[in-house]
Amino acid sequence: MAALLRGLRAGRALRGLGSVVAAPTATNSQCSSLRRGFQCAAARLQDDGKSDKPPSSSSTTYHEHYQAHSAKQGTAAASQEDSASDPADEASRPNTSYQDQGGEQGEEYETEEQLQARILTAALEFVPQHGWSMEAIASGAETLGLSSASAGMFNNGAGDLVLHFIAQCNSQLVEILAEQHKQVQLGQAERKKTADFLRDAVETRLRMHIPYIESWPQAMSILLLPHNIPDSLKHLSTLVDDMWYYAGDRSTDMNWYTKRAALTGIYNTTELVMVQDSSPDFQDTWNFLDNRIQDVVKMGTTAKQVQSTGEAVVQGLMGAAVTLKNLTGMNQRR
Amino acid sequence: MQRATHTSLYYCSNIVSPTMIRQCLTCRVPVQLSSRAYSVVPPPRDSEEKAMLDRILRVDHAGEYGANRIYAGQMAVLGRSRTGPLIQEMWDQEKKHLAKFNEILAESRVRPTALLPFWNIAGFVLGASSALLGKEGAMACTVAVEESISEHYNSQIRALMEKDPERYTELLQVIKEFRDDEMEHHDTGLEHDAESVPGYWLLKSAIQLGCKAAIYASERV
Repeated sequence: MAALLRGLRAGRALRGLGSVVAAPTATNSQCSSLRRGFQCAAARLQDDGKSDKPPSSSSTTYHEHYQAHSAKQGTAAASQEDSASDPADEASRPNTSYQDQGGEQGEEYETEEQLQARILTAALEFVPQHGWSMEAIASGAETLGLSSASAGMFNNGAGDLVLHFIAQCNSQLVEILAEQHKQVQLGQAERKKTADFLRDAVETRLRMHIPYIESWPQAMSILLLPHNIPDSLKHLSTLVDDMWYYAGDRSTDMNWYTKRAALTGIYNTTELVMVQDSSPDFQDTWNFLDNRIQDVVKMGTTAKQVQSTGEAVVQGLMGAAVTLKNLTGMNQRR
Repeated sequence: MQRATHTSLYYCSNIVSPTMIRQCLTCRVPVQLSSRAYSVVPPPRDSEEKAMLDRILRVDHAGEYGANRIYAGQMAVLGRSRTGPLIQEMWDQEKKHLAKFNEILAESRVRPTALLPFWNIAGFVLGASSALLGKEGAMACTVAVEESISEHYNSQIRALMEKDPERYTELLQVIKEFRDDEMEHHDTGLEHDAESVPGYWLLKSAIQLGCKAAIYASERV
């Protein structure tokens, strides 16, 4: 029975290989794809090796392994086999649903990035247990039916996991904000005031950390490592830009910078307060957030007042200058 | 009834709402970017195109902003003289250009250059100091700046035409229209005795060098 299944899988793999080889697309990373193919096939082999099987089917898998190793695009079929047959597919649907926009060669081809995304998503459920570490990634890989050695493809281990989580949270937030925006445009919801909108957006985003709040200080310190700083800053800046865009900011002068700087400050300080907050449902954090937003709003109105005062002063000075020019006779039409 | 069709049309034109597919090369979760109905700039297909469009729009916006401030400086000195109305007319056209670019930047979510306060002051000072050399000085400054800007717009038009003229039709149209306006200002400046200012070539070269540096800086910062 098991041999029959193995034979069927082998057949599907060979067909998959055939379709992939028939439409070759030269990638720049052919050497690394070979390595990936080897890794994936090795992972599968190890995985297959764990279960009982008769010797005849082991030669079939060895044949598959050989095929995967020799074909440049063999990775695809090998990993596609795993992805097609494993039950974690539904859990990772948000990531693989972008397949048709990724420009793959066939419908079932999964890129390395998508595979990594799936592994990292699966690893998230082990974070409360193992923290943000390679163990969590290895456990995640195992739930997908891959060997824990496939965690080796993440050079930046814990950093990759944290960055993936952040990117995922950011895209969830953008979806929520876009949905709200659509509701407002359809007239089904009231447009919120900017301060309220930002407060809700920051609260929604920070609430996504709640399941991992115990280990979040570790995640924050991982993000501060020098090699992670560029990526974490990029995620932070796109997050803040998105929040302001949906709040309705369309400024094209220095306000663009000051608004984003203010919101970055609010977000970071609120995050810090949250990790050491022990009040029920983080009520202290949301109060802190409220106060900071009110501060910024007050600063904004104060800035406007200063500006109008400044303008009035300048007009006064101009008036004095014109008077002086009139008195000295300089103000005549030439 | 009208309102319903209006809202449904509006809904259709913003169908997936302003969420873009941003395929960030390092992050593994593609962030949704906007697939809005565009009026001038097409939604970029990848991060490379976005970077290119960002650069183009940012520097054009900075250029129009600077030109605005230059004319403001010139008006501050020569506003009450005979050339006042002429400078005012050119300034009004630049204001229209700036408004258009403000709109495009907001729509395409392009970051404006961080050097704006600097161009604010530098432009005003340039306009005022060239106007202090008299009407010819102001016209010489106009000629130099407009020549720089036209050359810059031309190279952008060339770059966009090389890439994909059909995709960028509206943007090319806008840039071509603005380039024609700038050429008109350049010719107006020449007509009004720009070349008769003492040290014309020196002044012109210095200003054009400054413009080149400004363009270089605003593309990046």
